[in-house]
Amino acid sequence: MITKTAIDQLTAKLGSQNVFHQPEDLLTLGYDATPQLAGSPDVVVYPTCSDEVQYALQLARDNDLPVTPRGSGTGLSGGSIPAEGGMVICLNRMKRILEIDEENLTASVEAGVVTLDLFNTVAAKGLFYPPDPGSQKISTLGGNVMEDAGGLRGLKYGVTRDYVMALRCILADGSELATGGKSVKDVAGYAFKDLLVGSEGTLGIITEITLKLIPPPQAKRTLLAYFADIRNAGDAVSQIIAAKIIPSTMEIMDRATINCVEDYSKIGLPRQIAALLLIEVDGHPALVAEEAAAIEQILARARATEVQVAKDEIAAAKLAEARRTALSALARVSPTTLLEDATVPRSMLAETFTLIDQLTQKYQLQVGTFGHAGDGNLHPTVLCDERNTDEMHRAHAFYDQLYEQVLAWGGTVSGEHGIGLAKKDYLARQIGSGGIAVMKRIKSAFDPTGMLNPGKILSTNKNRT
Amino acid sequence: MNPKEQHGNFSPEKDAPKYADLLQCMRCGFCLPTCPTFALTGRERSSPRGRVALARAVAEGTFEFTSAIREEAFFCLDCRACTSACPSGVRAGELMEICRTQAHQQQPQPKWQTACRDMILQKMLTDPKHLERAMLPARLYQKLGLQWLLRNSRILKLGPQWLDKATAMLPPLGQPLRQQLPELTPARGKKRGRVAFFLGCVMSLMYAEVSQQTVRILSHQGFDVLTPPAQKCCGAPHLSEGDRQTTRQLAIHNLELFLALDVDAIVTDCAGCGSALKDYEELLEDQQDTHKLQLFRNKIKDISEFLSETGLRTEELLPIEQAVTYHEPCHLCHAQGISRQPRELIRAIPGIELREMKEASWCCGSAATWGLKFDAASQQVLDRKLANIAATDADLLVTANPGCQLQLDWGIREAGMAQKVIHLTELLGRATP
Repeated sequence: MITKTAIDQLTAKLGSQNVFHQPEDLLTLGYDATPQLAGSPDVVVYPTCSDEVQYALQLARDNDLPVTPRGSGTGLSGGSIPAEGGMVICLNRMKRILEIDEENLTASVEAGVVTLDLFNTVAAKGLFYPPDPGSQKISTLGGNVMEDAGGLRGLKYGVTRDYVMALRCILADGSELATGGKSVKDVAGYAFKDLLVGSEGTLGIITEITLKLIPPPQAKRTLLAYFADIRNAGDAVSQIIAAKIIPSTMEIMDRATINCVEDYSKIGLPRQIAALLLIEVDGHPALVAEEAAAIEQILARARATEVQVAKDEIAAAKLAEARRTALSALARVSPTTLLEDATVPRSMLAETFTLIDQLTQKYQLQVGTFGHAGDGNLHPTVLCDERNTDEMHRAHAFYDQLYEQVLAWGGTVSGEHGIGLAKKDYLARQIGSGGIAVMKRIKSAFDPTGMLNPGKILSTNKNRT
Repeated sequence: MNPKEQHGNFSPEKDAPKYADLLQCMRCGFCLPTCPTFALTGRERSSPRGRVALARAVAEGTFEFTSAIREEAFFCLDCRACTSACPSGVRAGELMEICRTQAHQQQPQPKWQTACRDMILQKMLTDPKHLERAMLPARLYQKLGLQWLLRNSRILKLGPQWLDKATAMLPPLGQPLRQQLPELTPARGKKRGRVAFFLGCVMSLMYAEVSQQTVRILSHQGFDVLTPPAQKCCGAPHLSEGDRQTTRQLAIHNLELFLALDVDAIVTDCAGCGSALKDYEELLEDQQDTHKLQLFRNKIKDISEFLSETGLRTEELLPIEQAVTYHEPCHLCHAQGISRQPRELIRAIPGIELREMKEASWCCGSAATWGLKFDAASQQVLDRKLANIAATDADLLVTANPGCQLQLDWGIREAGMAQKVIHLTELLGRATP
């Protein structure tokens, strides 16, 4: 519980418009996009500068309050849920783009800048920031860095981590840590920056980020391939890569997903096919033409029933936009949407689809699968009803068994959503007790009392008094 | 209401949000960047996702229907931008309309307020004659020069702020159109069909000339136009105020009246009315035959939707050499999904240049009585819109709903901007010989 004095102190420093403790605010800042999980903070603050973050952290430490950082709350593993109450620090009001450095090709931003806002701002200057998570219209860059968010362009361009050049963050002891810089090379000591990316707010609270920008591709082409069997689509992906072509995007949707997306976006996707691949190649115009032609041939050999080329950029953008809605559109079908983030080496894609199919039958569930096929990153989504306990048990058994095999194939339990609250047990299976022990030592080096986002990634170490 | 429905702390005697509709929200946050009130406050509880979460907590019994929840239900513009943005099909605006019904049950307001509200919603708005009589003082007030006198003497500044704004927004009032329109306006040229015209209250009372143009265009396009004088208010103001029961009564009256006519379509030029009329299907689902409801629903057409479907006869249209920009009424683009058609009609006029404004489908801040209740917030929403309009440097601002027109016309005058605000059918009327 937080004292009235503490709230008064926060209000005096941050202003009443930036400190909330009414039950209605606490309820609505206790969730993110992870199904079935929510917490309830004691107080929520919206700092507007790094000093205020420092102040809030200091006050939290003095009052023995756990602290959970939050952006727009679009995470999918519970990273911004205040699992043990305490203070939620919302960084949305720190949303200035501080600098776009065209000589060094970097952008420096505050943590609350919305991903798409940065994309648009740099695009206006003829530059490109590739990471594009599904929620890019509202997700914050701070959140993207904390979760190491991926997106549709991961295959060719990598994920958020690949673009983080420097970070400023506030540590649990209230000190500020600046790590990295604009230099392309930097091997000075331990790479704190890389440790902080994907740390889900358990090591420090990021206030400022410097990101790498690149020149945009000159040309793009988008292809859409339909399949009567989803395993053929999986094979097509492996064959395209084997042909030494790296498309910028290679997305897959199964029949259930296609139908839900079509219900919402009405762009004319065929409802009968088993799967589709959305493929984008980009780069120099001559290369794009060559690669697109080669891909068309491979698709035909891999038994695609039809291949379409998007007629212009607007049509291509519509397809990508429709794909981004896949998860939310699947939520139309049932009250509860359980989503996972299994990732396998690409060569195992077709086997993974077979397995998902078998497990769906075995556990009598309704499953929609979509994902970043080119990355081997799939989102098998169970469409269920949380009021049906038996169904929920079956859903969890489905994921248990799926992950067992994914790990056996050398895959990972999370490609891009993070561990958060939702996948702690799976993490232990993946990295073993030795791995967990090292992670715990790192955690306590940064945060000896365990006040930063307790309960995430690792189970709580109750060092706090 | 279904007795098996989970009410939690919602009162079971009134309309309550269906629990399944609340569960539909998977909290992805896609609605957040589209919500004008979230843009204003940056506060999650003032966002569609936050509002649905609050309603869900009430339905689950973990939250009372608190005064803050009531406030959020009324602070929602009901602009439905979140409905357009929601891939999961959650309709937060409608859910908030339903919560307003609960608000009156659970959080009784002072007696005089309730009496006043009931008088307006249940007595005046349900009978066009009462409404027309009620507007007489306002007409006199303008005619006798009292408006000029009062506005310039600044006496109105002493009263409540909304009254000052409301009187300043009033366009010049003439005789209500309902009293002037013949029951049948025959088709001109080659006849293409027969339609009924649904005359909105605000259109009849404040924009008689606009709707006169609508009827003239329909007739010029080859349609017989029937305007049944017995028609009543569509019930949109009641939905907005949380009085769904009165809307149902009006709905049954209008449904019977219009279905008895032998017409191809029921056309309206008011986006708010069109949206409410299309909602009858859901409002009356427990009371009326499904087939009948569908028949009615399928006949309701916004004027731009109707002309686009039937194909505009353009051969006689006169050129208009002006640059226009188009503001999309929320209840047209978000509530009815009509976005392309008005633009097609504008572009069909020879000589015209359509300049798209940024955020054309972002609310103007009018939203029924919202603009009067939340004066300061409304001004901020309006300012954002005005800046986007100004950036186009167009001569005319075209829209298709009286609420937007009142707000934008007033806003543009106050801001000293040059654009003239006109309804889409006024523009088409100018091009129609």
